[in-house]
Amino acid sequence: MSSSRLRSRTRRFERALWLVLGLVIAGSAWLFASSLGQTDGKAIRSLLEQPWFWRSAWLSVFTATITTLVAMLVGIPTAYALSRFRFRGRAAAQVLLDSVLVVPASTVGLVLMVAFQYPPVLALQDALGFRVVHSVASIVLAQLVLALAFGIQAWRAAFDSLNPRYEHVARSLGGSRLRTFFTVTIPLAKSGILAGIVLAWTRALAEFGAVLLLSGTFRMRDAAQFSGLSRWLGISNADVLSVGMWMEIEGGRTERGVALAFTLVLVAGLSVYLLHRLGDSRRSWVHS
Amino acid sequence: MIQIHDLSLDLDEFHLRHVNLTVAEGEYLVLLGPTGAGKTVLLECIVGLHRRHSGTIAVDGVDVTRLYPEERNIGYVPQDYALFPNMTVAKNLAYGLRARRAPPDEVAAKVRAMLAKLDIEGLSARHPATLSGGEKQRVALGRALLTEPHVLLLDEPLAALDENTRCELAAGLREIQRSVRGTFVHVCHNLEEALEVADRVAVIDDGGIVQVGTPEEILYRPACLFVAEFTRTRNLLPGRAEAGGPGAMVTLAAGAVLPSAVPAAGPIVASLRPERIRLLATGGGPVEGELGGTIVRVNPRPSHVEVEVNIGSRLVLHLGHGEASSLPSVGQPVRLQVDPKDVRLHPPPRSRATNAEGGGQANRGEAS
Repeated sequence: MSSSRLRSRTRRFERALWLVLGLVIAGSAWLFASSLGQTDGKAIRSLLEQPWFWRSAWLSVFTATITTLVAMLVGIPTAYALSRFRFRGRAAAQVLLDSVLVVPASTVGLVLMVAFQYPPVLALQDALGFRVVHSVASIVLAQLVLALAFGIQAWRAAFDSLNPRYEHVARSLGGSRLRTFFTVTIPLAKSGILAGIVLAWTRALAEFGAVLLLSGTFRMRDAAQFSGLSRWLGISNADVLSVGMWMEIEGGRTERGVALAFTLVLVAGLSVYLLHRLGDSRRSWVHS
Repeated sequence: MIQIHDLSLDLDEFHLRHVNLTVAEGEYLVLLGPTGAGKTVLLECIVGLHRRHSGTIAVDGVDVTRLYPEERNIGYVPQDYALFPNMTVAKNLAYGLRARRAPPDEVAAKVRAMLAKLDIEGLSARHPATLSGGEKQRVALGRALLTEPHVLLLDEPLAALDENTRCELAAGLREIQRSVRGTFVHVCHNLEEALEVADRVAVIDDGGIVQVGTPEEILYRPACLFVAEFTRTRNLLPGRAEAGGPGAMVTLAAGAVLPSAVPAAGPIVASLRPERIRLLATGGGPVEGELGGTIVRVNPRPSHVEVEVNIGSRLVLHLGHGEASSLPSVGQPVRLQVDPKDVRLHPPPRSRATNAEGGGQANRGEAS
């Protein structure tokens, strides 16, 4: 093939790539911009004046944070074990955990609800004097299943990408596996672990389907249905922001719903920006 | 001292077969072999990183086979050194002592002493990313030596360096080993590097140890064709051996006859190092082990002159530059002499696998 034909092929391909990239970027930008266009200062002001909005925002942040803490406590050791241990059924375990990522979140909520309505489990809950389904605590449970799946995947990738020789040397020097984990593994996987934390928190904050199915809505419920603790924490009679948004739309208050959507987009955007920053800092110092 | 008894291990990419090896107290042993032979895996077994192998490993008389790496007190310097990038040089050095909960002032004193010993005091506050290859190596050595391990294992410690620093640091390694009177096991695939540092060399091929011996033994008495090839014995001559002479007489494919001190019969491959062939003066009387041929090619090199002689088969010899000055010109007849002890006989390649496993010959170096 002649040199000029080669050149024109390359050029045409590059032009096509630019075109596709441009369309995708423009489309995404338009999506976010249109959410701004559908709302206005009045709708945002009206949203901010709703006492339930502030309770909802607080409930969202509060539950997402609790969820993330629990996810870290369970997920980081799980991810480390998955990354380091070789055992029969390891591949099956990974498939099981990862499949939560692709199942519709509402399905996760439904499955959770069914599991907790199962007669023996129900009897156990009654014995303890506490029903999980439709309780405020169940919000954390619904978020947790998804945040955990996302967190474990990120943390496992962080541990997998770490050269195992660092741990080998640390142990040959007399460091126990536990000491090695805290003095070598965690510091070296730091940015990957932080990325997993941000991801888990964002996932928990954004969760809608699973929460709606397992926990239902709270805003319209009678205040007496809430425990003293919920009232004291200021999270009674409130829904997480994503559920709140859906209720506004359902109730025909589109502008306020879109204003709420905008709030969620803003928080998500900030989190993703943070994730990318973490990704950059990781590249700069792992291979030193 | 390390005693490895009948160690076998099957991993996906590597395997070890019935490895028996003893490393004496204060000895510098090199595990030499091509990439993929299983050298690193054997080293990792000694460190304690593979737990599903059969056989036993004893260090200083204690069976460590079932112990965790942290219980073995074995110094380990892996490929690329694996200095902790999140810690300064001083913190890297202190790691082992701090893991043992040594008192802080003792740790500080020992770290200072090690920095001085390795002549790297100036680096103590630096991070590994800012160090050169040689500096990293010193820090890694110091970190491994600070806990006074029973043995020190080095995995390709010189592979990441350029040729010049490699020679310099090889000598440095020997020096450090002598000064701490330690038992060192050093993995490498480079023959010169092995000959430079080793008291003894264990040659490993396809997961099995095929010969253990001093550098001289490895070079001049290769236990099998693989060792002869790996040590770059240029003359590998197929022929047929019959009992006679000092041990056997070998008739080469083209009719020339070589005497060998090794008793053998049947088809063999004779190996003969090019620098062990002597040039005889023309016109003298017949000599034992004499070979006649014509010069085909003369090729001067910095350290020697390579001469190709046709004795029916092609023979390569290396002569000193002085000796080569009396050489007849190309095409002229020449008289050569070989010592029957230098002519080693090996089963031909087809049966190489059985030869590698032949216990008697393979373990000859072990007894010495």
